[in-house]
Amino acid sequence: MIDLHIPATQSSPEIHSEHAQGRLVLRGDSYPENSYELFNQVFEWIEGFLAGQPRRALNLELHLLYLNTSSIKAMMEIFDLLQAAHDRQHPISVSWFYDARNERVAELAEEFKEDCSFPFDILVMERSTP
Amino acid sequence: MTAAGHDLEQRLISLLQDSATDNPLHQPLAELWQAHQDLVYRLERITRISDAYQSLAKEREVSLVSRVDKQLRQLEKIVRISDRYQHMMRDLNIALQEAASHDVLTGLPNRRLLTERLREASELHRRYNRPFSLAMIDIDHFKSINDRFGHETGDSVIIEVARVLDAEVREQDTCGRWGGEEFLLLLPETDAQAAALLGERLRHAIEQLTIRHKDEPIRVTASIGIAGHADVSSYSETINHADNALLQAKRAGRNQCMAYTAARPIPS
Repeated sequence: MIDLHIPATQSSPEIHSEHAQGRLVLRGDSYPENSYELFNQVFEWIEGFLAGQPRRALNLELHLLYLNTSSIKAMMEIFDLLQAAHDRQHPISVSWFYDARNERVAELAEEFKEDCSFPFDILVMERSTP
Repeated sequence: MTAAGHDLEQRLISLLQDSATDNPLHQPLAELWQAHQDLVYRLERITRISDAYQSLAKEREVSLVSRVDKQLRQLEKIVRISDRYQHMMRDLNIALQEAASHDVLTGLPNRRLLTERLREASELHRRYNRPFSLAMIDIDHFKSINDRFGHETGDSVIIEVARVLDAEVREQDTCGRWGGEEFLLLLPETDAQAAALLGERLRHAIEQLTIRHKDEPIRVTASIGIAGHADVSSYSETINHADNALLQAKRAGRNQCMAYTAARPIPS
């Protein structure tokens, strides 16, 4: 399975996956011109990972700041996908990191968390991770 | 099937079985009976198919309604989150604007905002001949305060002087930090004479100020140069005039407020 290594641009987040570790990281601002194209690769990667045998845990790590409307929709679809996997007893977890200087990102993460029953941690970061 | 209908069917069946086949009615009756049987079969088939279609349509309607409901909920959530993101961006924008136009140490307007206000004031002067004056204020012997008490105390002196100036000026005035220990006051609708009165009041207020360094009180004074915006000059020329008057105040022994006068050039 091919891992994703999409560098951040001015308007799109860095997307980075580690199949071996069961880790997917999204980092930065997201207001791409074509969010469907960008997030479709993420959906495909997640679906591929979840279909793999034997089943392995997936952790989605988010360091997202600003999301435009279509990115919000894409994120909700990703969470729906993860929720469905969780309902099939697939181990899923989400860690959403935010900067202590911007508490409102945490409030927004809470909104996303609302409909998810898998472990969804919203974690403060004193400094941005390297 | 009604009881009478059932009875008729039974009678027909036995008639067709029993009666001699030479009866001329026998053949048409047998054909009629067969046609009747076919029709009944077809009717039942149509009913079955129709019922199946109806329940299929019903199921589709139910699933469509639940899908629409789900999508509506999702849409409402997207809208809610999106609104909050936009709100966050707006607030960040305001904070950024504030940071770009205000001095971090004192919270006063910075040079950028002062320049913007100066441009507006000189435009008002050019178009409607509205007067304005400037006061350039410089803390006396600031370097020696810094050297003697350290930068932190130097910073508190600047903060305290800024606080006094900000408290003393009028609503319509802009008091900003022009440079290190230098403040610029923009006084709209004020001629040089009125500005000089205000300048004197500010000088006095600063003179009254005491800043504590550990247990030692520090007294500061400031020199002030006043200049009214004259008809032909650009605002930068008026700043130069205020600077010149400030220099004069410094030369006259500091802790003074002086107004620029064109007739009396600065002795070099």
